[in-house]
Amino acid sequence: MRALYTAATGMMAQELNVQVISNNIANMQTTGYKRQRAEFQDLLYEHVRRIGTQTTDQGNMLPVGVDLGSGVKTVGTPRVMTQGTLLPTGRDFDVAIRGDGFFKILMPDGSFSYTRDGSFEMDAQGRITTAGGNLVQPGITVPQNAQSITINPQGQVSVTIPGNPTPQVLGQLVLTRFVNQAGLQPIGDNLFVETPASGQPIDGLPAIDGMGDLQQDNLEQSNVEAVTEISSLITAQRAYEMNSKVVSAADEMLQTTTGMMK
Amino acid sequence: MENALLVGLSRQMALSRQLEVIANNVANMNTTGYKSDGALFEEFIAPTAQDDGTSRADSAVHFTNDRGIWHDFTQGPVQHTGNPLDVAIDGDGYFVVQTPNGERYTRNGAFQVNGAGQLVTADGMPVLGDNGPITFQQTDHNVAITPDGFVSVNEGNVTNVEARRGKLRLVRFARAQNLIKEGASNFRAPNGVDPEPATNAKLQQMAVEKSNVNSVLEMTRLIDITRSYAQVSALLQQTNDMRKNAISQLAEVPT
Repeated sequence: MRALYTAATGMMAQELNVQVISNNIANMQTTGYKRQRAEFQDLLYEHVRRIGTQTTDQGNMLPVGVDLGSGVKTVGTPRVMTQGTLLPTGRDFDVAIRGDGFFKILMPDGSFSYTRDGSFEMDAQGRITTAGGNLVQPGITVPQNAQSITINPQGQVSVTIPGNPTPQVLGQLVLTRFVNQAGLQPIGDNLFVETPASGQPIDGLPAIDGMGDLQQDNLEQSNVEAVTEISSLITAQRAYEMNSKVVSAADEMLQTTTGMMK
Repeated sequence: MENALLVGLSRQMALSRQLEVIANNVANMNTTGYKSDGALFEEFIAPTAQDDGTSRADSAVHFTNDRGIWHDFTQGPVQHTGNPLDVAIDGDGYFVVQTPNGERYTRNGAFQVNGAGQLVTADGMPVLGDNGPITFQQTDHNVAITPDGFVSVNEGNVTNVEARRGKLRLVRFARAQNLIKEGASNFRAPNGVDPEPATNAKLQQMAVEKSNVNSVLEMTRLIDITRSYAQVSALLQQTNDMRKNAISQLAEVPT
């Protein structure tokens, strides 16, 4: 009874769907989180009676065939890279990207990772780091006696030093973009790394050449929408249930068959 | 006498095949752009032995035979996703996908961009425009897809000038039932069948067409199938009992 296995693929797919949805809901309040969506496709078909087969010597052909599908597969869990809403926080080191681009982060092993989470901190040496303690690229060091740090939409970081009325420019934040943002690989901690599918990183200045601009004192909220997730959850659960009904129907039919033998 | 058993068996085989079709529909309840299937049956009339000497000819025996699977091409519900690369087709039409085995047709418009900037399907096959694959440049942003398929972007730092990146090819088939499902949301056209440009289809950006599987219908069919199956097997059981009785009673020799 192939229906059993077909329904099993459906149940597995819905289970994965619920897993993706639960991860989205769990990250509803995660800064810079981009929601994922499970994408499904149908599996191969067995052509039991091939369409277009000649049925008579006069050249009559079968107008329809018998094609039996074998279920569903998960083809990917692409990220939906839409802009999250900006939440004003009033913290000087909170920076949100409005538009395309990622902050470039130096990892402890010397490689680079990318993030949309702009809740930065300052370490003991005055360097700007992520909340996880990794350095934001290019490295910017804030002097000990600095007051009121300003990050403008173009990414220029400036401070005022006591006794000097003119603000001092400390450095320039850069953003990185990818042709295929959805192809980035998530490594947790709100970080992504480049893959062959994402394309090469393209560095650029904020607010230039299609790059997003920066908003200081703001954080980008996750783009998870509770209503959407809950309705997908209901759909997934019901679909799971219906697949299990198919399993029990197939089981019942098998039972009937066995019951015939006395 | 044997006919009842064989007729019943033919019905049971058809029913279990119909269950497989339903299982596939239900498994694909959440598959973007999936079109549900239905099974078709026909009567198969076996030639009967006929003796002219009897007053009435034997009645013909009718078997069940599955003739084909039909595709239900009704529009699936369109779900808003907010993703600029999701496109739903409203009306009769298909996207054209370039696969290693040739052109394939799909209603699944959950597209992505690959590392080379090409518009691709979820499994990485380029989506064709009127002039080949649609390719974006590295500085492109704000992708907009018009209802008639034009893909435009804002290029570089320019926010008010649009640049065209191509026009999505939309096709239709005069006899869509002839399309063959190939898995991976793709349809294949039989040899010698060429698509024609779709004129009645409109695209909707930031939305996908969900599967058109009607869950109520599938569940009803499911109940119908299991009950019919049990019914037929009761019939077979009775036929069998009848035969058993006949054998045991007829063979009884009165003493």
